[in-house]
Amino acid sequence: MQARHGQSSYRDRTDEFFGVVESRRRSIAPAAENNVPHGGGGGRREDPRSAAANQSEFSKRASLIGLAIHQTSQKLSKLAQLAKRSSVFDDPTREIQELTVVIKQEISGLNGALLDLQAVRNSHNDESNISRDTTTHSATVVDDLKNRLMDTTKEFKDVLTLRTENMKIQEDRMKKFSKISSKESANPFVRQRPLASKPSPSQPAPLPWANGSSSSSSQIVPSRQGEAESSPLLQQSQQQQQHMVPLQDTYMQSRAEALHNVESTIHELGNIFTQLATMVSQQGEIAIRIDQNMEDTLANVEGAQSQLARYLNSISSNRWLMIKIFFVLIAFLMVFLFFVA
Amino acid sequence: MNAAMKITALLVLKAAPETTDPVILANASDVSHFGYFQRSSVKEFVVFVGRTVASRTPPSQRQSVQHEEYKVHAYNRNGLCAVGFMDDHYPVRSAFSLLNQVIDEYQKSFGETWRSAKEDSAQPWPYLADALTKFQDPAEADKLLKIQRELDETKIIIHKTIDSVLARGEKLDSLVEKSSDLSMASQMFYKQAKKTNSCCTIL
Repeated sequence: MQARHGQSSYRDRTDEFFGVVESRRRSIAPAAENNVPHGGGGGRREDPRSAAANQSEFSKRASLIGLAIHQTSQKLSKLAQLAKRSSVFDDPTREIQELTVVIKQEISGLNGALLDLQAVRNSHNDESNISRDTTTHSATVVDDLKNRLMDTTKEFKDVLTLRTENMKIQEDRMKKFSKISSKESANPFVRQRPLASKPSPSQPAPLPWANGSSSSSSQIVPSRQGEAESSPLLQQSQQQQQHMVPLQDTYMQSRAEALHNVESTIHELGNIFTQLATMVSQQGEIAIRIDQNMEDTLANVEGAQSQLARYLNSISSNRWLMIKIFFVLIAFLMVFLFFVA
Repeated sequence: MNAAMKITALLVLKAAPETTDPVILANASDVSHFGYFQRSSVKEFVVFVGRTVASRTPPSQRQSVQHEEYKVHAYNRNGLCAVGFMDDHYPVRSAFSLLNQVIDEYQKSFGETWRSAKEDSAQPWPYLADALTKFQDPAEADKLLKIQRELDETKIIIHKTIDSVLARGEKLDSLVEKSSDLSMASQMFYKQAKKTNSCCTIL
């Protein structure tokens, strides 16, 4: 129709105008009964008008779907904001899960509606002779809606992954803050166990993660109790179990902690002993050096003593010689005195 | 070590299913630190609180309740329940290992006869009284605590040893210096003596 517009300056569109008026008048009436896609069976003679009515019906439904998609994406953005809010204390878990459920239902509803719309369009294409442009238009509309729905679903998945990551980060943070009273780490498992056990198929990604961790913690508890007691333990009501499990874990964990302490103390003691051995061996070397020094000193002193002894000997022997020389000198002096006097 | 840790009472009860009251099988209490006139009322109080706690402890579970200034620890094993009244300083773990031992001992000495007990047994069980006095020190009950304490003492002794070894090292260092000085001096002495000996020809 647009091609024809471009060719002539004026066009008699009276027929079109009448058709539009008729379709408007009819679309209000048959809108209620045109919900069934195959409702065009009895209206063959009103083909152009029913075609127009169907067309407007199609466009109305398309617009409804578009509106619903928009609302869903708005809710999704709100959910994304809630999921991004990763504070430790103000955890909007409940709201997030409710919102998730609602969004999932809406998406599945939209999916169904879109499929219906496509079926409608196909049936209309088969029944009435709509122009090629209308066909392409409706096909485009359906495709566009499908794309938008796909984008919304993708965003939804991203938000869910973000949510799981944030929950993991919160877990780590809680464990870090409450390392001493490690009862805290049991609590998220305990808290999520009733969530896991409720028949909630609408719970997406957080569920398998919570299930895995709760199954590991439920293994810890029966292993302590021993064989015969594990069956009555499992038969207890879950309420009591949740209250008791933190206490059991506390007891077990305190025992485990005490054992760890003992082990580390023994380890430290081993270390200290090794250091002690090193120090003592070093000091042994020093002692050997001292010993050598003393032996050297002894040798020196003995040598010096022998020298002095020899000297003494030589001195004492020299004295005799000295006396003899002296006597000889005095004899010569006497002789000289005799000669002079 | 810490402030005095006390056990005030130990009870062994038969914990019937929820409806009926637990039946006391053995009772040992240490009320010496109460005045003479308060002793009977304290005993009553112990009995009553013990019964309440035992009736509320599900089988195969441990429980600790804070009551006034006492911590009441209860351990229920297949209907045989041991309850202990300890003060706040007593470590929880030792309390439960003590209760474990009490239950084991009771089952060893009385077998399964307690299951038929219908009213409170009045005869005292000497083991319980002994346990009460022996386990005033939590290290006795809890092997882990004992080991940890001994390890700590050993660590202190080891530290003292290391200190003495370091002092010994210092003394050895000073000794080695002195001995090397001595060896130098003796060497000089020897040289001098040799020198004096060499030039003695005159006189």
